[in-house]
Amino acid sequence: MKKHSKRLLESNFLRLAFLCVLLLQANFLQAQDKTVTGTVTAEEDGMPIPGVNVVIVGTTIGTSTDFDGNYIIQVPEGGSLQFSYIGFINQKLDVAGLTTLNVALKTDTQQLDEVVVVGYGTQKKELVTGANLQVSGEDLQRQSTTSALQALQGQTPGVQITSTSGQPGEGLNVVIRGLGSTGNNSPLYVVDGVLTTDISYLNNADIENISILKDAASAAIYGSQAANGVVLVTTRKGRKGHAQITFDHYYGIQEVARTMDMTNAKEYATLINESVMNSGASPVFSNADIAQMGEGVNWMDEMFSTAKTENYTLGLSGGSEASTYSSSLSYTNQEGIVGGADLSNYERYNFRFNSEHKFYNDRVTFGENLSFAIIKNNGIGVGNQYNNALRGAFQANPLIPMYDENGNYYNSNGDSEPWLSGMSNPYASMVYGNQNAYETKKLLGNVYMEFELLENLKFRTSLGLDYFSSQGHTFSPIYELSSYDFNKFTTATQNMSEGKTLIWDNLLTYTFDINDSHHFETMVGSSSFNYEGVSMYGSNVNLVFDDLAHAWLSNATNTEGAQITLTGGPDARVKRMSYFGRLNYNFKETYLLNVTFRADGSSNFASGNRWGYFPSLSAGWVLSNENFMDSSSNWLSHFKLRASWGQVGNQNVGNFQYLAPITYQNTNYIFGGEEAVLTPGAYPNRLPNLGLTWETSEQLDLGFDARLFQNKLTINFDWYEKTTKDWLINIPVPPTSGVDSKWINGGDVTNTGVELALNFRDQISDDFSYSIGVNGAYNQNEVGQIPTDDGIIHGETGQLWDNSNEFYRAENGHGLGYFWGYKTAGVFQDVEEIQNYRGSNGGLIQPDALPGDLKYVDSNRDGVIDASDKVEIGDPNPDLTYGISIGANYKALDFSIQANGVAGNQLVQSYRNITGAYGNFPSEYLNRWHGPGSSNTIPRLTVDNKNFSTFSDLYVKDGDFLRISNLTLGYDIAKGVNKENFFASQLRVYFSVLNLYTFTEYNGMDPEVGYGISSDAYNFSSGVDVGYYPRPRTYMMGLNIKF
Amino acid sequence: MLAFGSCTKDFLDTEPMTELTSDNFYKTPSDAYDALVGCYDGLQIAIGASGMAFPVASEVLSDDCFGGTGNSDDYKYQMLDEFDASRSPANVNVFDDTWVKYYQAIFRCNALLQKMDQVQWGENQDLKITYQAEARFIRAYLYFDLVRLFGPIPLLTEPSEDIIPRFEVDEVYKVIAEDLSFAATQMDDVAYTELPSGRVTKWAAKSLLARVYLYYTGYYGAPDLVGVVNQSTALAHLEDVISKSGHGLVDDFNTLWPAASVDNFAGEDNKEVIFSVKFTYTSDYNGNTDGNHWMVMFGMREYDHLPYGRGWGITVNPELYNLYKDGDSRRDATVIAIDEEEIPFNKQEGQREYTGYYNKKYAPMTAIDEDGALGSIAEQLGGVNFQIGQFQDYYAIRYADVLLMASELGSSSAQQYFDQVRQRALGNDFVALTANQSNILNERHMEFAMEGIRYWDLLRQGIGTASSVLATSVTLPNGGVPTSKVISAGNIQATKGLQQIPDNQITLSNNVLTQNNGW
Repeated sequence: MKKHSKRLLESNFLRLAFLCVLLLQANFLQAQDKTVTGTVTAEEDGMPIPGVNVVIVGTTIGTSTDFDGNYIIQVPEGGSLQFSYIGFINQKLDVAGLTTLNVALKTDTQQLDEVVVVGYGTQKKELVTGANLQVSGEDLQRQSTTSALQALQGQTPGVQITSTSGQPGEGLNVVIRGLGSTGNNSPLYVVDGVLTTDISYLNNADIENISILKDAASAAIYGSQAANGVVLVTTRKGRKGHAQITFDHYYGIQEVARTMDMTNAKEYATLINESVMNSGASPVFSNADIAQMGEGVNWMDEMFSTAKTENYTLGLSGGSEASTYSSSLSYTNQEGIVGGADLSNYERYNFRFNSEHKFYNDRVTFGENLSFAIIKNNGIGVGNQYNNALRGAFQANPLIPMYDENGNYYNSNGDSEPWLSGMSNPYASMVYGNQNAYETKKLLGNVYMEFELLENLKFRTSLGLDYFSSQGHTFSPIYELSSYDFNKFTTATQNMSEGKTLIWDNLLTYTFDINDSHHFETMVGSSSFNYEGVSMYGSNVNLVFDDLAHAWLSNATNTEGAQITLTGGPDARVKRMSYFGRLNYNFKETYLLNVTFRADGSSNFASGNRWGYFPSLSAGWVLSNENFMDSSSNWLSHFKLRASWGQVGNQNVGNFQYLAPITYQNTNYIFGGEEAVLTPGAYPNRLPNLGLTWETSEQLDLGFDARLFQNKLTINFDWYEKTTKDWLINIPVPPTSGVDSKWINGGDVTNTGVELALNFRDQISDDFSYSIGVNGAYNQNEVGQIPTDDGIIHGETGQLWDNSNEFYRAENGHGLGYFWGYKTAGVFQDVEEIQNYRGSNGGLIQPDALPGDLKYVDSNRDGVIDASDKVEIGDPNPDLTYGISIGANYKALDFSIQANGVAGNQLVQSYRNITGAYGNFPSEYLNRWHGPGSSNTIPRLTVDNKNFSTFSDLYVKDGDFLRISNLTLGYDIAKGVNKENFFASQLRVYFSVLNLYTFTEYNGMDPEVGYGISSDAYNFSSGVDVGYYPRPRTYMMGLNIKF
Repeated sequence: MLAFGSCTKDFLDTEPMTELTSDNFYKTPSDAYDALVGCYDGLQIAIGASGMAFPVASEVLSDDCFGGTGNSDDYKYQMLDEFDASRSPANVNVFDDTWVKYYQAIFRCNALLQKMDQVQWGENQDLKITYQAEARFIRAYLYFDLVRLFGPIPLLTEPSEDIIPRFEVDEVYKVIAEDLSFAATQMDDVAYTELPSGRVTKWAAKSLLARVYLYYTGYYGAPDLVGVVNQSTALAHLEDVISKSGHGLVDDFNTLWPAASVDNFAGEDNKEVIFSVKFTYTSDYNGNTDGNHWMVMFGMREYDHLPYGRGWGITVNPELYNLYKDGDSRRDATVIAIDEEEIPFNKQEGQREYTGYYNKKYAPMTAIDEDGALGSIAEQLGGVNFQIGQFQDYYAIRYADVLLMASELGSSSAQQYFDQVRQRALGNDFVALTANQSNILNERHMEFAMEGIRYWDLLRQGIGTASSVLATSVTLPNGGVPTSKVISAGNIQATKGLQQIPDNQITLSNNVLTQNNGW
């Protein structure tokens, strides 16, 4: 029977028709003679292990141990049994006449069976042929951060994670292996199999692990969504017989880690006088005035306050033979350090219900993973120079008072002193201008069923849901702080939106062996994706009440149309249909092969161009399994070479770009004599492009994984080349065509890099162990070709100060979003230097310069300084990102330190709106040129800011930093008291400091500037500091209890 | 699983729920009307909210205004004022936004005109002619501004995605002349009072056609307007306007201008307005563009004084103020005079090229609000702010212009028309002058100063005359510091008075577009 079935299996494999095989194979279940019973325990502690697989060797007949580790099985005479359980070494034993067979399983210290989560499944880590990495939820929880992504910082080589703002709840930029697109660069997030765009709603304690698929071969199973890599999140699941209640809590106080040093009143007055005199006018402040000035207002100090952060998590998990469950309830609150909780706050409630149930001898599995989050937040503007509440504090000079003589916020309207006129109290402006409250509810999860159709042939169907509903309102009181900063009417805005994504996945998997040495895992599947959403927005003025709590549209009394805004409608539906398949093969776990293929159809494209096809191929060779490596096996326990190639896509373009719509939006005219009475009009506002299709990212990856010295040291190394081509770009077209831009496919960028992770872990004694991890990634980002006539995608203007020129762009041969401007060669010290600065034709290069002015480099050597002399003067893409972690345990004490850093990137810093002469100065301006030899870096100050009004390397600073992001010292009381029946298995208290210290030469508040100028069309800019909400430093106490 | 395959096509089909597409639009006369309003909106944006607005550029280029603006600003207004690219070499795209918005507005007209026959007009054939005439008028208006600013320009009369080269000016003028002739002859004789103000009338088309005739024949020294319109036709159109339109002069020149008349303002729809580009205060930063975004350029530098409001301070040449004789009511309606009006202006510090004079015809305005505070009227009405909330219409053509053009074109009533304009201005101080060309042009200077007309009146006298009038050498305070300023005749002659083609557009066209001489 056995032989017969095996032969059949082989021949059928040759015909690649495994379905038929299984139908035949199903017939051979037959009862045999002898009953064997026994108990399986763990060798280490002698405790029984429930759920151990007990299989008759050479068959698929088996059972598993019950809650007390007992099993009972019918075994043929002369047969043998295999016992296997995750985390333990498999054991094979001959029954040989016995009727009782007790087994003690050894713990698998090598964790050879460690599995990693891959797309639509899991894989043994040993056998992985792609470049992916997995971080456990515990490692994330240990960072005590509000956001899981922030906790990942520094733990994941090749994944650059950067805050876009220090405001609680703000997003993080996640860039995997360098920027690949001018459009969207954020990876695909998949939580428990459900595709989503953001995972900030998750509580760290709910995460079992996060797996990041970096190379195209690993990601290709997600096809068109995976061009920027994939982040797979698995939430915590229950385990059989392991009922546990956990409680985690932390409470911390946050403060600003470093404020920007700006000039005080005396320094400011001195610099202003100097700048006025440099411009030929008489000083504004007399010496007597200056002498009696104090420090003035330190606006930086006014903006910041200390703020709390706290988290409470209650978790329950466990399981019986048939069911496992894991649930949790948590509350997180993080206040903002700018303006305090009234203006900047983030509050989150998380509920999680995961369970799995087995029926009919485990042939049918039903389960669900559901996470529900309620997020309440409010915040200050952290965007561009016009929507940035903190920026005003850089601009406001120390002579502006906080209050007027009546104790009201100071209003400069009416003051004619040039240093007051037009100036606005930045604190009051923040308070008046940022009153809002938002609430978002998100339900994400799936319900699934799995049928074991035949042995090892499984069909799984799951319905995933990503639902959100969100509403908010804002209030603007009547106020006036200056002639530019005012609100004449009480205003309320209200917004609501709701949307859902439904994903229906169907998977068929079949695993089989041929001759014990050929192992196959196959999978085919389909997935349909359907997003629908609606939103509404309204605003109106003249409210009955005068506060945020009552700022609702129904309380607005105005009936005049011009002051009412009302919009609403459905979001464009997004639909996708996908088919995919995977074959994993290995020969004796030594030669590994993995092939995947995915076909994706998307509603974003016209019907002829909807389908994209994404193949991948990867292979591995575990050299350490080869005989010729035996000699090194005493120090090299595992060595695997990997190579992978694959293609993935990106389809993130606005909807209906292939249609020519007629818009009524913002299109109207005023006929007749009455103001604000508008007649609606329409016009075609887009050039259709029927040919628009996928962006493709192709990647080659070569690497190795190794474990050395009894697995104490692990090394992972990767080299990759990732080319993203046929970008979906919005290129400018001649306006004679009626529009200013149009979406096309074209352009490419190449990221080449290496990644290295070293982890060393050693147990010195029973009491002491320690670990050191170092990882680093080097990446080179270079744009290949951009199909516009000048080969450039131009950056936006007006971003650094009013009417400032373009300063960043995407261009052939440069990093994406590189900084473009004048290079300077110091400051002219005297007239002679100006006279000596001549072009090849003998003419003065800067005839209008005066001593103290910037000396611009005549890059094209044509003897004049003009726009053609602008060159690359910085690149916001770091060459190197790295992380360091050190941990140690001594008895009940634990200690850990986590650091991360970047090197080789530049930032642009612009805090002064230089169209005005009276803004405050960063203190470094005290080192300005004010006489020969006084400075060769900062030019002289003038009222017209002539040295500052063109973008030059004066604004560019190095962004290298190393941040000690977490330092923790913990003590486990349960371990310390070491008592048999102590009420908890763990009772750990700890003290942590987050963002303890940052080593950097950058003089801003925080060198981790994820903010960039971004618009819907282009999202490739980064490293722009126009007044940055810094990440707080947090001192916290925490508690972990496991009952 | 394979079952999904069959419904895949349907599954992936979606449609926009809040937009029409060009397939289901342009069907009914009401669609056509909406598209026509879209053309007016395009005109409003081009004239009111494009980067270097035509009315502003026309004044800065003329002898009546200096570039002025903030003492820390870049030098683009000086570059314009002095016809000198080296004044602000990085500013190679000063007219880019203007260019873009004009062509986008032209596209809207072309798109509608192309679909005219697709509309089911039924019994509304008259409407078809009217809408066609209005769209063609708007297109001609836009092309006329462009061709005057840049000379040869891309010309297209139906939508096209191709790169369009610069066409000879005669071809551009041919389209303008034909568009306007169509409107001037095909539209119904409707009195202006029977239509809501802002709509194009037959009279507006006739008046604009005469202006085009005068400019083209003057600047290019041609005997007629590209063979389409000759002097007698042009004059006949004007005589028609005078005799049939119902338009006339308002009695008091001051009441034409809100800042000069405040409570006595004749209103934006007064009988003298033959065509205006209309604005209101509903502009915002979310895409609504309905306002006069350039008027703020003319306001006193960051200074409010009832009834005038703050702005960015393009300054007025004192010579204009001195041009008016005592008793000429137009002087105080045209110019804000800081010293003469005893305005305690104290923002010289931030003002470049301060002269003591500002534009009053297009001055942002303030009023005292309920709480007794002085503030921008635009803001009090609910405008977002005084920069984009200004709502004063731009008088493109006034009846006075019709009278003076008719006079200049040799009407048999030339002297009477000329006197009519001068009598209104001078009242009791009126002393007759001969209606010869030199007197008429001088009168036009005083009558239309600050209205975006003067510079073109100079150019049409030939580049020689224009450059000698425009050239000057003065000393003006920049931020209170006296600084010399030179406008050289040589620069004006080198450019022939034409402006810089935006560098972006040259690049975008793959160098099919070429730069004008002198830039």
